[in-house]
Amino acid sequence: MRTAWHDIWGCARGPVARLLPHARILAGTGVFAGCMAAPTLDPAGAGLAAGAAVLWMGACAPPFRAVRVMVVFGLVALLPYFALVALLGSEAPGTRSTLAIAWDLFLRAMCGLVVSVATLTTLRASDLREGLVRLPVPEAVSAILLQIVHQTALLAYETSRVASAISVRGASAGHRTAWRLLASLPRVWLPRIVERADRVADAMELRGYCESNLGFSGRVRIRLADGVALLLTWSVFAAALAIRYRSGR
Amino acid sequence: MSFPALAFRNVGVRHEPDEPPTLTEVSFSVAAGERVALLGLNGSGKTTLLLAAVGLVPHAGEIEIGGVPVARRTLARVREGVGFLFNVPEDQLLFPRVVDDVAFGLVRRGVAPAAAANRAKAVLSALGVGHLDEASLHHLSHGQKQRVALAGALACAPPLLLLDEPSAGLDPPAKWNLAHLLLSEPAAMVVASHDLEFAGKLCTRFLTLESGRIVRDAADPGDTLRAWGGP
Repeated sequence: MRTAWHDIWGCARGPVARLLPHARILAGTGVFAGCMAAPTLDPAGAGLAAGAAVLWMGACAPPFRAVRVMVVFGLVALLPYFALVALLGSEAPGTRSTLAIAWDLFLRAMCGLVVSVATLTTLRASDLREGLVRLPVPEAVSAILLQIVHQTALLAYETSRVASAISVRGASAGHRTAWRLLASLPRVWLPRIVERADRVADAMELRGYCESNLGFSGRVRIRLADGVALLLTWSVFAAALAIRYRSGR
Repeated sequence: MSFPALAFRNVGVRHEPDEPPTLTEVSFSVAAGERVALLGLNGSGKTTLLLAAVGLVPHAGEIEIGGVPVARRTLARVREGVGFLFNVPEDQLLFPRVVDDVAFGLVRRGVAPAAAANRAKAVLSALGVGHLDEASLHHLSHGQKQRVALAGALACAPPLLLLDEPSAGLDPPAKWNLAHLLLSEPAAMVVASHDLEFAGKLCTRFLTLESGRIVRDAADPGDTLRAWGGP
């Protein structure tokens, strides 16, 4: 059974899902920042990034099927980086070996993917707006973030419709549909998306989404549990910076 | 002195300089509270006309909404008084949760969030989708999205409604409910459609567009129906 993008939202049942929506987003951002800042060529940095991602996923506790989908997707999308080693030889023109570059890309991206998707699984549609409205960032930033997530979901839906049309009209299934979908991206998918982006931009302009008063102001509230979660997750970022400083990378 | 809700004077729209115009010398006006159907086959220019009315496509000639000319400097003011339904409802739904999307226009106009949410729920109920107020937009059918988008346009009670194919994708009971609901709206409305049955129930005046020109302005859709090969 396929796990659709919109089925991922709000499916987690871990302790993170019981935090206030904005605390979930901020805590996830802390872990994400830690994974990105950790020097993954240093064993301590790699351990911190991988450990934080796995612990965060455990704390979010998404269903097994969602975990499986994100891990398989990550492996399919990121393992090809190791082809760089074969393509470029063992030494890159710079100082690092190609294997190290591929490992760095793979680990950072995989951890980032796991943390991002695990965070999304703790948010339902209503939580997302609540959370973004109460983030301590300017109103325009909240509005843009909300649109990025919302339109990405619509794109995923559009893509699944293109895939359905290809599989039915091309009488194919499984991997064959996936390959045909990939081949159709520049000719079918891209023009549709560009056209759609134009229409959405018109609607945003007409409905006043681009103006300053969006009614996005909200009071920031933090409970004890949220404060503890934020402290723990942002300490991952602090630890990553400390390891980076110590290792000089 | 009262101004027409919408007035077009010699309006032309050309998308590309070397292509034929999409609209040519279109002139008509819609009185306050009047319900006008804009009929036409696919590609006749109905959607372009509605988009031009709110300044979303550049035009030649004059367009006025409530006596205010549609120009770059007046766009925000003009659009405050218009409820618009796009022909692809998904395009205008900007929030993941139904009630947030419907309440958005009200909140932006300064209505308190709780009052805006209550009004949004009332409009959703009137359109028969009150039970979906907390639903995620990604889980709705096309017809449900159509009604949610329409609720967003109606919630602000604008004096002018521009509706592009409002009955598309609705099942027959929903279509008749929509016609009844719109009949009770005091707003002037221009309804672009090729659904003559729906337009006939709702509107009192019928403009027919052919190749970007208004070729018929009648009090009943009979001539258009016959021109399209009907009885």
